[in-house]
Amino acid sequence: MKASSFRYVFPQATKSMLQNGWMTFAAIMTITISLFLCAFFWLLLVNLNANAERIESDVRVVAYLAQEVTEAELPEIEKQIKWIDGVAELEFTDKLEGLSELEERFGGVDLQATLGGANPLPFRYSITAESTEQVAAIAEELQTIAGVDTVRYGQDTVEKLFALTATLRQVGLAIMALLGVAAVVLIAMAIRMTIMARRKEIMVMKWVGATNGFIRWPFFIEGLILGVAGAVVALTLVLITYNSAASYIHSAVSFVTILSLSEIWLTATAFTLGAGLILGALGAVIPLTRFMDV
Amino acid sequence: MLLQTVNVGKTYKNGIVALANINISIDFGEFVFLTGASGAGKSTLIRLLFREEMPTAGQILIDGRSALRLSNSEIVRLRRNTGVVFQDFRLMERSSVFDNVAFALKAVERPWPEIKERVPAILAKVGLAGRENDNVMHLSGGEQQRVAVARAIINNPLILFADEPTGDLDPRTSDELIELFLKINAGGTTVVMATHDKSIVDRLNKRVITLSAGRVISDAVGGWAL
Repeated sequence: MKASSFRYVFPQATKSMLQNGWMTFAAIMTITISLFLCAFFWLLLVNLNANAERIESDVRVVAYLAQEVTEAELPEIEKQIKWIDGVAELEFTDKLEGLSELEERFGGVDLQATLGGANPLPFRYSITAESTEQVAAIAEELQTIAGVDTVRYGQDTVEKLFALTATLRQVGLAIMALLGVAAVVLIAMAIRMTIMARRKEIMVMKWVGATNGFIRWPFFIEGLILGVAGAVVALTLVLITYNSAASYIHSAVSFVTILSLSEIWLTATAFTLGAGLILGALGAVIPLTRFMDV
Repeated sequence: MLLQTVNVGKTYKNGIVALANINISIDFGEFVFLTGASGAGKSTLIRLLFREEMPTAGQILIDGRSALRLSNSEIVRLRRNTGVVFQDFRLMERSSVFDNVAFALKAVERPWPEIKERVPAILAKVGLAGRENDNVMHLSGGEQQRVAVARAIINNPLILFADEPTGDLDPRTSDELIELFLKINAGGTTVVMATHDKSIVDRLNKRVITLSAGRVISDAVGGWAL
């Protein structure tokens, strides 16, 4: 098809969309909802991954000692910890300091008074590894030291996060597939209606010798416009809600890493517009091959 | 020879035999009437000749080449050399005279300056000069058919098929349209016209192919064979 023919093709596509106003609206809304939810799941996964990566890169391991360990036993335990390969730094927190930290986190509540003078917190050592690769081995060695009760480090949190991410990814993919099919079906219905409404014109085009491309392009362009229009609305909603959601989550749970808008907007735009184009193209190709014999 | 059918037959899926053993040849520049009673197979034969439908038997040759096994680009070329006019005009109702005719040029991707120049010229040729901006629904039946003829011939086809073009017109308007077809034929375009109007056929003394129950029963110059 000649490039100059797009002067005919584009107005034809938009004219059809306006003539089938409700169908156009329904198709755009379905794409908007589908892509908004897809983008929502994608952003959730991206943020979970970012948190997992941050935690994974944390070189600290915390060893909580058993309650019955006395202060006299501490030098021996400390010596054994320092012997472990890869330990760069060691920081000790006694029971009272631990309680003060906790009181601070709870906004200055007098926990000691609340607990009737008892302090249930154990002694603890915060160990900084020389590198992330050594964290797991250090944690394993710490477990073997007499007097060490529990060892916590980023890895087990990461494993839980990865398991959650995998489940969310599967659920998200299933929802995306269903919504994608719904969007394609609605676009196909809108374009089929256009084909029916313009059957006479299509026949005339055939009789006078229009090429298949010339006849089909307006419908294909209509599909692409529907896809991109839905994607633009979805993207706008995503970018607006992301900022508010991010600041809300950050104020509620400050230790969670939330990627900033500047970090995600480019990928989000490419993802949403690309998906809109693909859905639009698929929705157009189906009726063009099924209902239009040219 | 411009057009030739060899043992052409058309049987529909429901078993109805619309055409059987059609053997005709039409030369460049001829004016041919296809006549016969309703249901004789005239419209089916026209549809096969302009490749709207495919025969279930036989062969159709256009300028010596099979019209049945054509690539997409060959089909496009064939249709650009073929004009079609129907009894019910088949115009785009909501559009102007200009848009209806220009559509045939837009569809074959002619440039806009050429379209602006050629549409008024062809409208003048069919007797509709100055009616470019009229809505086709505001025209009389005869005028609407002239718009359809203008659309069919604007791409200068080698052959013009007309399927009962006077069927919905009064006798005077029919005569005017036939005059237009004769003028087009005189310009070198082959005209194949299906009609069951005896007076037109008798008056013109042209070649008449008569069909009955899907078969050719007569092929001779002049006169109504039924």
